[in-house]
Amino acid sequence: MNLVAGLDFSILPQQLANGLLLGAIYALIALGYTMVYGVLRLINFAHGEVFMLGSYAALFTSWALGFTPEALKNGAEKPSSWMVLALMLVVSMVVCGLIGVVIERLAYRPMRNQPRIASLITAIGVSLFLQYAGGLFLPQSPPPAISEQVNPYRKDSDNVRLTLKDAPAALKAQAKLLDAEAGKAEAAYRASEQQDPPGHTTAATEDLRQKYQTLERSAQKVEGEVNGQSVKLNIPFGQLIMLITTIVLMLILRHIVMYTRTGRAMRAVSHDFDSASLMGIDVNNVVTVTFLIGSALAGAGAMMYATFLRTNLTPFLGVTPGVKAFVAAVLGGIGNIPGAALGGILMGVVETLVIWLGFSGYKDAVAFVVLIAVLLFRPGGLLGSSKVEKV
Amino acid sequence: MRNNLVGKSILIAAGLAMGLLGGCKTTETGNGSPAPDTKSGSNTSSSTPARPSPKSDGNAISDPIKIGLVVSLNGDLKPWGDDSFKGATLAVDEINKAGGIDGKKVMLMPGDSNSSPEAGKSAAQKLIADGAVGLLGEVSSGITQQIANVAFDAGVPVIAIGATKTDITAVGDNIFRVCYTDDFQGPVMAKFAYEELKLRNVALMTDNKQPYSQYLSKSFRAAFEKLGGKVIHEEFYESKQTQFAGQIENLKSKNPDGVFLSGYFNEVGPIVNQMRQAGLKVPVFGGDGWDSSELLTSGGEAIVGGYFCNHYNSKEDRPEVKEFLSKWMARYHAEPGTTMGALSYDAAMLMMKSIEKAMKANGTKSRDVTKAIEDTENYPGVTGNITLKGQGGNPRKPALVVEVTKNGFVWRKSYKPEEIEN
Repeated sequence: MNLVAGLDFSILPQQLANGLLLGAIYALIALGYTMVYGVLRLINFAHGEVFMLGSYAALFTSWALGFTPEALKNGAEKPSSWMVLALMLVVSMVVCGLIGVVIERLAYRPMRNQPRIASLITAIGVSLFLQYAGGLFLPQSPPPAISEQVNPYRKDSDNVRLTLKDAPAALKAQAKLLDAEAGKAEAAYRASEQQDPPGHTTAATEDLRQKYQTLERSAQKVEGEVNGQSVKLNIPFGQLIMLITTIVLMLILRHIVMYTRTGRAMRAVSHDFDSASLMGIDVNNVVTVTFLIGSALAGAGAMMYATFLRTNLTPFLGVTPGVKAFVAAVLGGIGNIPGAALGGILMGVVETLVIWLGFSGYKDAVAFVVLIAVLLFRPGGLLGSSKVEKV
Repeated sequence: MRNNLVGKSILIAAGLAMGLLGGCKTTETGNGSPAPDTKSGSNTSSSTPARPSPKSDGNAISDPIKIGLVVSLNGDLKPWGDDSFKGATLAVDEINKAGGIDGKKVMLMPGDSNSSPEAGKSAAQKLIADGAVGLLGEVSSGITQQIANVAFDAGVPVIAIGATKTDITAVGDNIFRVCYTDDFQGPVMAKFAYEELKLRNVALMTDNKQPYSQYLSKSFRAAFEKLGGKVIHEEFYESKQTQFAGQIENLKSKNPDGVFLSGYFNEVGPIVNQMRQAGLKVPVFGGDGWDSSELLTSGGEAIVGGYFCNHYNSKEDRPEVKEFLSKWMARYHAEPGTTMGALSYDAAMLMMKSIEKAMKANGTKSRDVTKAIEDTENYPGVTGNITLKGQGGNPRKPALVVEVTKNGFVWRKSYKPEEIEN
């Protein structure tokens, strides 16, 4: 078996960190699924699209704050700060919360007394409606990618680095030297390229380009060796903010659910919808609050997703995270709030570890196998009740 | 071998799971295709076996003359779909303004493939049922494959716009394309990487959900290894994935001197962006799947300096290119964002010229149009000369390698088919 021999253990800590960061997003979205399911026994398939709308809300906020494509044309820099990020987060959460409430009011409430399958199909309908309406009205991959402009911590030097084991000093010195030389060669080549008539490359420039390329290759090779011999953690600062914000939001949610009147009402409705209403709880109010909180969490996730993760915005960006988060919610035990958080993080870590094992082609497959395995032994999910649910 | 077995059984189990879960959401585009067998790169020979002929004569040439267009007007591939639609519309309007074909107006019937093979198939079926004498489209190879199957059964000719997967035209002798194939594109990029970029140890990144990407990776690998280079690692991802940290970390630990990304622009931009953030700074390059101005917005500064293989360049000096661009600008007031506008224009023009030829020879059915397309020789297209006679549906056209710069895609080098084949 060359399975173990082919593994690179020096990148395992980094891969675990990657998995945790990925899982944190899944967890944040999964919370919305699980809360709605807990209260209404409804799988809100439009949740992924609320997430998508949240990322656009963040984008439009950034535009309103002056980070428009026009203002940033030709590489113009506009200083950003954490205040901008905080404002975007708040707007995104509020917008998503309201969208969630509107969806519930218009699409799900009229269906509440119908068979459950009717609500489920309505949810799918809302999801598709938002995707394709978004396709008509929202800009696709609006320029420039949002993470390029508003994140004040986007530079390489802002990354949080942790060296667990260092490479030999001699090798590092060599890498630095070669890098400097390659930098000089590149400058010479670019300068010569500027002198050339447009659309034509002179022999001198070509010569400089070759020289620069050779130097660049050897510099990269040595740098690769340095990387191979050291064990490092390299986490973009934005993603660290994201992880911390996620944890804080989860703690706030836990506080609301466990220690407030609204939270107690939510738990009561979740326990028994009809009895709760007989006990004088305003069920409609509780459902509205549930959608508000669940969707606002998705909005927070969406804002951070759009800002820190260097990905493009499309009206379909909610689909994949939505499905993954749904699976995470089921894995953790749908209806169970800590379960959703656990399921999300587990999904992220398992997915990344499968990639690390060298089976990137099977990563989703393995995630689903884990789901099946868990459901075989614990039909209610990891932390869910073991009572069999008919869905 | 054991690993492989385990992998397969996992895949089957997960396929079931996907089916169950995917049943709730209809947006999955995958057709459950297994991972490509990357070890065998043997089917890159360019010999073309005889293609089967459709049994049916197809639809009649009606008045107005109906031409179907299947493109992605929605979904991830919308930028290509929009440009293809604009290109074909431009061509059809031009012919209609000049009086149509033999006095008959041409009616372009668009169908939306919604960036998914299933929707593309039903769109093609509907267009054929509505009486389309010929079909244009698609850009994505996975979708075109479905259109080709449907069109073969119905006997209607298809001119694919940008589908480069080589075996699509093998479906039948009524399937054509106006672009080059991956059997050409892969070796072009291999040659460019080996000779111009001087790369020797390259890693691949393949989109497991796109037949196009799987096949292009395979053809690149075979050609690059033939030149003497080494493919040291291959990572997989899926369309619509947005986070690639795991794969990138693996690539980084293998220390490649270049990365070939065979997927579509939607994912390539974010991948390269995240690659740079993770500190992997080696050159990146890919196929014509990169071709969209969206690459610059999603890839940002990170993608600048990447290379890819393209069909034509708007800065070329040929009169066809200049004429096409001035027509396009007059109508749409902006340069085409992708090369699919030009390819679609060529495909539509070729279809209409062939219908005209067929009508002059007293042809009345789709089969006659197919024959006229097959007889195309030296048609001066915007994207280069197109000859389909005896080519098995695949024109021999040059490929351009362009560099991604801040101000768009800049031509670097072109390769003729002869340079690659020996």
